[in-house]
Amino acid sequence: MADFGKIGFEWPPYTIEVERGKIAEFALAVRASDPVYTDRAAARAAGYADVPVPPTFSAVGQHWAPKTSVEDDLGVDLKRVLAGGADWEYLGDIVAGDVLTVRGRVVDMVEKRGGRGPMTLIIRENTFVNQRGETVLRLRGTMIELGAAS
Amino acid sequence: MTTATKAAEVRVGPLTRTDFVRYAGAGGDFNPIHHDDGFAASAGYPSVFGHGLLTAGILSGFACDWLGRRNLRSYGVRYVAQVWPGDTLILSGEITGTTEDGLARAELRVERESPDGERAVVLRGTATATATAVHPEEEK
Repeated sequence: MADFGKIGFEWPPYTIEVERGKIAEFALAVRASDPVYTDRAAARAAGYADVPVPPTFSAVGQHWAPKTSVEDDLGVDLKRVLAGGADWEYLGDIVAGDVLTVRGRVVDMVEKRGGRGPMTLIIRENTFVNQRGETVLRLRGTMIELGAAS
Repeated sequence: MTTATKAAEVRVGPLTRTDFVRYAGAGGDFNPIHHDDGFAASAGYPSVFGHGLLTAGILSGFACDWLGRRNLRSYGVRYVAQVWPGDTLILSGEITGTTEDGLARAELRVERESPDGERAVVLRGTATATATAVHPEEEK
């Protein structure tokens, strides 16, 4: 059961090294066939310093984040959790070779009653800052835990 | 040239368990509900289902192809229903207005079509993009 005392909880910052191979792997997984994701010349022709990341690439942060689980950190039950949605705000380019520092926190937890009964919305925000100190991405994600809060 | 008000519909799939596993590896989300049918059944689901972020990722590529990758300023998704193995995704989009900063605002949608022809919305999305000529290189 989501622990409402975790509103404001901050995960320890971690860094992501943006790798060309991971960009190509991710682009393939989401069926993005644009050559900018695999071909440096195509990326440069499009105005990027190197191959850019696909718009939802921030998901790979899970490979780099400290190996803790949302179950443990927030007290939620994975069998009752659904992804609610996500919003990405693009503030600058992210390309291969960048090193991003990610800061994540729990912005809010809200109890709601929907078509599937009571649920808890858990809203998280991640900020991505590159090696030059530029904030290049802000991501807000909503996780839904079905069932009544305790 | 400016962006068409409506994007041409694109179909992706049918998606398979392999697509879900490939996304799990690429994205790093190994929640077993997306690859372990036993675990999915114990949570009350008929089978594994795709990651919301897989559908969101596929739709984001469609948005980039339509609006221009470099023009994208924000992208958001709301998950409505699950995508099951065997489903084909149908992606569509429409420009619906302008933001107060002068960006074009687009509404996006993903529907699933099951092998037996059942069709339903699985994801609704929004995007904002700079509203200037979207593919300047095509103006030559």
